[in-house]
Amino acid sequence: MATTRRRCLLSIALVTAMAGCVTAQAPVARPPAAGSAKQQLPDAPGKETFQKICGSCHSAQIVLGRGMTREQWSELVSGMISRGAKGTQSQFAEVVDYLATNLPPKEGAAPAAGKALGGFTMGPDDKQIVDSAAAARGKALYSAQCVTCHGPLARGSDNGPDLVRSVTVLHDRYGSTIGPFLHQGHPAPGGTAGTSLTDEQIKDLSHFLHQQVDDTLRSGPYSKVLNVLTGDPKAGEAYFMGAGGCNACHSPTGDLAGVAAKYDPPTLQQRFLFPRTGGFNRGNATPPKPVTVTVTVAGGPAVSGVLDQIDDFNVSLRDASGEYRSWKRTPAVKVEKNDPYAAHAELLDKYTDKDIHDMVAYLETLK
Amino acid sequence: MRLLRTFLGFSLAATAVFGQFLNPAKLQQPATDTWPTYNGDYSGRRFSTLSKINSSNIDSLSLAWVYRIGAGAGTLGGAIKSTPLLVGGILYFTIPDHVWAVDARTGREVWQYEWKSKGGIHLGNRGVGIYEGWLYFETPDCHLVSLNLKDGKERWSKQVCDMDQYYYASVAPIVIKNHVLVGVSGDDLDIPGYLESRDPETGDLQWRWYTVPQKKGDPGSETWPNVDAMKHGGGMTWVPSTYDPELNLIYVGTGNPQPVIAGKARNGSDLFTESIVALDADTGKMVWYFQCSPHDTHDWDAVQTPVLFDGEIDGKPRKLLAQASRNGKFFVLDRTNGKNIVSSEFVKTNWAKGVDSRGQPIPNPAKEPQIDGALVSPNQGGAVNWPPPSFSPQTGLFYVNATRAFSEYYIFDTGDKPEGWGGNDRGGWGESMLQALDYKTGKICWSHKWEGSGIRSGVLSTAGNLVFAGDPSNNLVALNAKTGEPLWHANLGEAVSNGPMTYELDGAQYLVVGAGDTLYGFAMLSK
Repeated sequence: MATTRRRCLLSIALVTAMAGCVTAQAPVARPPAAGSAKQQLPDAPGKETFQKICGSCHSAQIVLGRGMTREQWSELVSGMISRGAKGTQSQFAEVVDYLATNLPPKEGAAPAAGKALGGFTMGPDDKQIVDSAAAARGKALYSAQCVTCHGPLARGSDNGPDLVRSVTVLHDRYGSTIGPFLHQGHPAPGGTAGTSLTDEQIKDLSHFLHQQVDDTLRSGPYSKVLNVLTGDPKAGEAYFMGAGGCNACHSPTGDLAGVAAKYDPPTLQQRFLFPRTGGFNRGNATPPKPVTVTVTVAGGPAVSGVLDQIDDFNVSLRDASGEYRSWKRTPAVKVEKNDPYAAHAELLDKYTDKDIHDMVAYLETLK
Repeated sequence: MRLLRTFLGFSLAATAVFGQFLNPAKLQQPATDTWPTYNGDYSGRRFSTLSKINSSNIDSLSLAWVYRIGAGAGTLGGAIKSTPLLVGGILYFTIPDHVWAVDARTGREVWQYEWKSKGGIHLGNRGVGIYEGWLYFETPDCHLVSLNLKDGKERWSKQVCDMDQYYYASVAPIVIKNHVLVGVSGDDLDIPGYLESRDPETGDLQWRWYTVPQKKGDPGSETWPNVDAMKHGGGMTWVPSTYDPELNLIYVGTGNPQPVIAGKARNGSDLFTESIVALDADTGKMVWYFQCSPHDTHDWDAVQTPVLFDGEIDGKPRKLLAQASRNGKFFVLDRTNGKNIVSSEFVKTNWAKGVDSRGQPIPNPAKEPQIDGALVSPNQGGAVNWPPPSFSPQTGLFYVNATRAFSEYYIFDTGDKPEGWGGNDRGGWGESMLQALDYKTGKICWSHKWEGSGIRSGVLSTAGNLVFAGDPSNNLVALNAKTGEPLWHANLGEAVSNGPMTYELDGAQYLVVGAGDTLYGFAMLSK
């Protein structure tokens, strides 16, 4: 089955379900579909998981042609989880591994500039690819001639318009619209219209301005958590030992000893808030504990194991010996679910934001 | 002329004349052998008067056909998020850049059309609009395309937005008289949202309504700090509108303000983002508004279907509008004037301090995104996202497939003028449930909690005392509309990804639902 499935998946490039595979066997004569002439997903471990987890919403186009660091891919996948992506922690980690290994930052290009983030930031196919060396030259020009009126990030000031929001800039490709604009009528610092910039200089300036646009997009360098260490460690300790009830399961000298050396503060925060999904694939993150389930058919023995799937109609598990079992749910079938992180979920309705910040400050002391 | 002809409607006797064409009179009738517009009819109720499939015989529902779009389609991917339209026995549906016509009786492909894309976000497409013998859909690269219904041949295309500004298009056009309503998507850079009306014959612009003021003195401009902020204030129109023919009003839900998360440079309530707005269908002029999330900083578009129905409030008949909004709140308004009747919530939330004198929520500033994080519920995905809800006049209940989720919202850009997003949320925990709300009180009449969380399925209710919805475990589930008891299910191997729809042909009632890249046709084939 696994072999059939793999072949099937490879043949159609982006498929997400077993059910779908069954009908995929017969070749269908049809004009090539969108993107078929473009790049394909790299064949590498994790591809199938990527397709399963991400493919129910996204086509492969979403990631093809991009390159990002592991941290950026991880942030992206984390963002997707909060948008409703479904999978286990190990599946998400596999997706990050697959993307980070096979789609690393591109040589010579600014990492993921303007192209990335879960397919939410595509823009036109012919968008300008920023050359970072040219952008650096453009920045020097900008700092000398433009910054006074247009501001350090090109977002405008009282004396000049916002260039990131400028349609002239957004329509520009390598100086195609800002060149004529600057030559024709732009008031220069001295008050005269026009510009003495050469075509090469305008191209450099264009790269700099497009870099500012790309940086503003969700994949830009501003997209990271800054400082979460604003709480009071003493108050955090009191919460841990008291109102939070954390010490019922955890100990600063036991399971949490050295936890701050393992995770950075934003990851610490995510991990105690959302232990099942928070901070996956960071540091040496331990895999989350599975939900277990005990199923008892009236008159029969109780069967326990790791929950595989449960809905209103059926339940399945894998027992300690690795055997898969499933039952139809009826009044005669008793199902007891045990989520080891249930206490964390209950706290979500109780925490104040101060509690959370104090807790991060406290956990950060556990080096 | 055409306007007059369409508005007067056609007699039923004329149906045969239409063949594969859409008889405009169908738009004013309960959808039975036709599903002529995104929500089945203009009201947005997604309630079917059909009852051959009902709570007593649902066990006999059988699979009639399967149509899979993925086969041979290369890197096509993506899920069917569109609700198929049914005209002349043929279903019309989309994914980005692609339209299919398939036989509603057999699932056999009639034609397929592919648009050669020049880019844009390929996240989803909600479907097509139909006017007489013409089909309309929007593309990620900002085009409105008209096809010949008969063979899928392209008739014309018109650019409706600017990809360079990071607009894209995903909404299903809604055809009202001789107006094709076109919405836009995109919130990566700070750009204004708008709704357009275009001529169904030529594609030419008839009117455009900006969701945010474009100059000082325009209505709503007093709720922005300056012209630059308002002109770039967002408010996309990416879910189909509803329409009351008697009042001649279009009801539009508008999207999030921009910059999305870091709202420092747009202090004020940021009208008319995250609002329900009534527009005159012929002029596009605003008649009233109600803001669901003043000065939102959580990406909680209020685009969810404004559902129209007539009901009774305090013993008096009223023309109503109800929305279960992405921010977790449930609103019932008088649709003649926008006056609030009910403000409640359909899942527990933690971001509002109460409601103002107009019934609009008052956001708690402490729950705006913070540099060190703020724990907020719902999360960015929302208590509900775009998937359509349903209202059954038979039970008087409003059904919404809801999620109660938490995440931590952060500010990333601490500058004076953040742009784009300037922050985001991270992580999450959630639980999902189908909620049935009493429109008179906004209280939950019954709630069916799903195992697991994360759902993106719409809801359909029928006169057969049934509600259809997807659960988080890939099941299509039919529940008793009065009690919420699950009665029937089919595991489709992938989550239900659109709003289920139903119709009757040759005496058999069909139920059609999309799950991932596959469209399933169920039917009560026995009598």
